[in-house]
Amino acid sequence: MSLPTYGPAAGTMWRVLAIARRHAYVLQRSPHRLFDVLVWPVVDVLLFGSIGVFAASQATTGAQRVALYLLVGVILWHVVYQAQIAVATGFLEESWSRSVLNLMATPLREWEYIFGVALFGLVKLVVGVGAVTVIVWGAFAFNVAGIGPAMIAVAALLLVIGWSIALFVIGLVLRFGSGAEAFAWGILFVVMPLSGVFYPVDALPALLRPLAEILPTTHAFSAGRTVAAGNPMPWGEFGLAAAGTAGLTLVGLGYVTWMLRIFRKRGFVTRYS
Amino acid sequence: MLTCDTDGDVALRASGLVKEYRRGRAVDGVDLTVGVGERVALLGPNGAGKTTTLLMCLGAVRPDAGEIEILGHRLPRQRTRAMAHVGFAAGYLPLPAQVRVLEYLRLFGRLYGLRRPDDAARAGLERFGISDLARAMGTELSSGQKTLVGIVKAAMHRPRLLVLDEPTASLDPAVALRVRTGLRELSHELGTALLVTSHNMVEVERLCERVVFLSHGRVVADGTAAEITDRFGREDLEDVFLHLAKTRSAPEGVAG
Repeated sequence: MSLPTYGPAAGTMWRVLAIARRHAYVLQRSPHRLFDVLVWPVVDVLLFGSIGVFAASQATTGAQRVALYLLVGVILWHVVYQAQIAVATGFLEESWSRSVLNLMATPLREWEYIFGVALFGLVKLVVGVGAVTVIVWGAFAFNVAGIGPAMIAVAALLLVIGWSIALFVIGLVLRFGSGAEAFAWGILFVVMPLSGVFYPVDALPALLRPLAEILPTTHAFSAGRTVAAGNPMPWGEFGLAAAGTAGLTLVGLGYVTWMLRIFRKRGFVTRYS
Repeated sequence: MLTCDTDGDVALRASGLVKEYRRGRAVDGVDLTVGVGERVALLGPNGAGKTTTLLMCLGAVRPDAGEIEILGHRLPRQRTRAMAHVGFAAGYLPLPAQVRVLEYLRLFGRLYGLRRPDDAARAGLERFGISDLARAMGTELSSGQKTLVGIVKAAMHRPRLLVLDEPTASLDPAVALRVRTGLRELSHELGTALLVTSHNMVEVERLCERVVFLSHGRVVADGTAAEITDRFGREDLEDVFLHLAKTRSAPEGVAG
């Protein structure tokens, strides 16, 4: 006799929630992983916030703005970084625990898996960025919440960018195995200086500026700085960031789908069993 | 409720499966049918193509040629529907370290769409005599206990087809007996078909009604243990196995 089961829609929801719960167990039972979620964001805010305060205390022209850029930059940076690292290391967790084959032999769809990991990543993001927001308010008297909904829109774009970059990382790990896992931690640190996280990209060497301009992160951080400085949302900049994010997401989805096809075709699942 | 369109009495039908890797052809035109409630062993020397065949039947590896249907659901298009009726366990797959046994089983119960995964998990643990492990962490289990939990995981949603890759490789004889008894009960009570790979010929003879021998990626024999030993003129399955491993020559004729 069969057991009672959910219909297709509820089944999908429960599978997504089950994956999110599985990763909650991982965090719960491996407290050292809180370093990524909580400790590093707090350390970064204290570091860059203090540099900003020091710069501002020198009373040079524009020093206040440098402090603002540093604080806004570090908060937005952790949005994109946490989003990316949560999804990418979520998949790596399956490879470390050799669970890939067990998961593939269930009704779980690939996109349900990604949604589940991203969902729990969102919870971690809220905790991490929430802590950072409280610290910049308490330690540096900077109220991020006071900036308004425009900053939430910028953060939402960076969230999607983080997830899209994670798709590339997953694709690389599917194709090249666990040797590619260094990308999970390293890929964004290549993007970071080019995106002008803490400064306008005019400050970059001229040779690198065209490359910076094609990154959606560049326009998202620029829009974030503008809004944080009390100006209205620069819709042109935001539009470029949104279009770039949409393009990056499509390319990321295409890449991971392609790599998954190769993964199945070449039998790479045996690497994880 | 789990529903499916069965194609007659067939749980798994794979035809003309071919898989070529860079190192050579792993599977070369395998036809494999498992009836509803039938217990079939897939045997062969290392490198014969058993695991690749199983992985293709699970949708984890895509065949270069051939077709696979599970209870009427064609892979890869209907993989999600098909997998709702399939359970899989392998003796070599570990349990994640950071979860308790019941949490692990609950996760897979949810993935299989069960409304009450905890009830199914407890019933499965009881069937295989390991109810006391429900709250144990993955790290606290012996390799045999991990294997048992893996089998409970694979069977907890009452699948129509249970695929087991070397399920008793790390078990002592007493626990292996418990596993065989549990699997036979599942097959009798629920009509679950079994597709099992093993290197333990005695176990295969005790558990399975039919044996499919692979060599060099091809089916070289298909029948009951007695039929196969007769065909090869050997004393038992182990002797047939050793003969095939030793000759590693061209197929000796496909039986059906």
